[in-house]
Amino acid sequence: MIFSEVSGTISEILVSKNQIVEKETNLLMIECMKMLIPVTVEKRGKIIDIFVKEGDLISEGDKLLEVNYD
Amino acid sequence: MSWEKELEEKINREKLSEKLGGEERVKRQHDSGRYTIRERIDILSDKSSFQEIGKIAGQAIYDKDNDLIDFKGSNFIFGKAKIDGRNIVVGGDDFTLRGGSADASIREKHLKCEEMALSLKLPLIRIVEGSGGGGSVKTIETTGRANVPEVEGWNLVVESMGTIPRVALGLGSVAGLGAAHLACSHYSVMVKEKSAVFVAGPPVVEQIGQKLTKNELGGYKIQLKSGAVDDAVDTEEEAFNAAKKFLSYLPNSVYELTDQLEPRDDPNRSSEWLIEAIPKDIKSVYKIRPIIEELVDKDTFFEIGKEYGKSMVTGFCRLNGWSVALMASDPYSYGGCWTSDTCKKVQKFVDLAETFHLPVIYLVDCPGFQVGLDAEKKGTIKEGVRAMSAIWQTKTPWMSIIIRNCFGVAGAAHKRGSSYISRCAWPSARWGSLPLEGGIEAAYRSEIENSSNPKAELEKINVRLNKLRSPLRSAESFWIEEIIDPRNTRKTMCEFADLSAPLRTKGMTSRTMRP
Repeated sequence: MIFSEVSGTISEILVSKNQIVEKETNLLMIECMKMLIPVTVEKRGKIIDIFVKEGDLISEGDKLLEVNYD
Repeated sequence: MSWEKELEEKINREKLSEKLGGEERVKRQHDSGRYTIRERIDILSDKSSFQEIGKIAGQAIYDKDNDLIDFKGSNFIFGKAKIDGRNIVVGGDDFTLRGGSADASIREKHLKCEEMALSLKLPLIRIVEGSGGGGSVKTIETTGRANVPEVEGWNLVVESMGTIPRVALGLGSVAGLGAAHLACSHYSVMVKEKSAVFVAGPPVVEQIGQKLTKNELGGYKIQLKSGAVDDAVDTEEEAFNAAKKFLSYLPNSVYELTDQLEPRDDPNRSSEWLIEAIPKDIKSVYKIRPIIEELVDKDTFFEIGKEYGKSMVTGFCRLNGWSVALMASDPYSYGGCWTSDTCKKVQKFVDLAETFHLPVIYLVDCPGFQVGLDAEKKGTIKEGVRAMSAIWQTKTPWMSIIIRNCFGVAGAAHKRGSSYISRCAWPSARWGSLPLEGGIEAAYRSEIENSSNPKAELEKINVRLNKLRSPLRSAESFWIEEIIDPRNTRKTMCEFADLSAPLRTKGMTSRTMRP
């Protein structure tokens, strides 16, 4: 499970469900304090679920995505 | 006639003391993947260097003729040891005897351990498991009366925070006074999945309606994020290595200064990629840790508190062999803004550097304090001014290098107003009272509203103001002393470390740091 490290707005979702993602891929972008902060994966894996959509206001600790790592 | 018999009796008691809480309890400790306290001290210290104090202090059982039947040592073991050839004091709880609680402890041993480290001016490593010598519910029965709570010897702990390095390792479940000992240190470490730290454990917490596992209540994810503990590692061996590494950057006490190690990296080494390390797009972030690693002596950066107050990276490093405290903004967390937690982290880190006379280098990318309702609810401004006060109270040599943003009150905290600091900036630096992006609409509202084309007017103002924000314009009026080539930053930092070395002054700071 990937949780948000910051509060802000989901500005862009860059992956879709069932997609295989490589290590350090940007999964989505959060606009926070006027900056665009990417959320990345530490390891290769598959996107199982996405819990947010573009424009959503999120808080620190909110669930963003579920990833199954290889 | 000789005293051999008496000595044999002493050795016999020592052997009994080595059995700790007995075979079964020791097995239970091992089965749960944890070492006993004696094994821990053995692994931590240089071979055969541990000199225990009070090994035969404990509970003895005698027969009717007053001959010894059995003996159990106290559940707190301490003494002098060496790590990497250097003297330290180490003390630790024996969890196999009443879970380290006061019931099987001798209070004076805890006090003597603290007093010894403080008086000999040696670093103290406390290995904590259980309640750290604190009482338990059963205490009332063992003492026959209710005790008025007091923490005897805490004055020694408070004094030593301003005198000697204190490291605390939480290597199992740690509660009550044990948790206090862990938190009251300059550096604390837990073992992932094996350690849990709390004021009171799950059975007590269940009484207030919270049914939680040890990990859910006080596992490393909770305590690192809360800032109660600095770091977590996978094994006990790694915890010991982390303690050694931390201490390697500090003097034995505030009455000494750290030595220069044989430099193993060229102080003049330039780094070509740093010229493009900061993205031109002001909304884009970059990774600060590779920049830090590039600038310091190779493989010497030791980060402290990575999971807490994440918009500031803090740690020790070596520059041309000198020990230096390094802070750097991390734009991945709130764009580098100072959150309430960041401010608390800065307070502790700056105090730590000041206490042990380490020069500070701060790589600045701070767009200001975090703004918004969350920030207000967490008292960001209150913690912010406390962080600023900590910075202003420093006398240790200080260098700030502004690598990108420097805005507002939090930005201003890159520089203490109280005395000289070395300061320079990268060409990517931008500064002001407020980032233009955050305030043009408010500051120029009437101009924009009265325009026939508000959007175009906003853009026009934007272009006009942006031309003013080159750091070179600020340098014209000497508002920034020097703009440097990012590629040569290491040289600037190493020169600072060299110049700082003779300026460091031994002794206690006027105000000892709080944990």
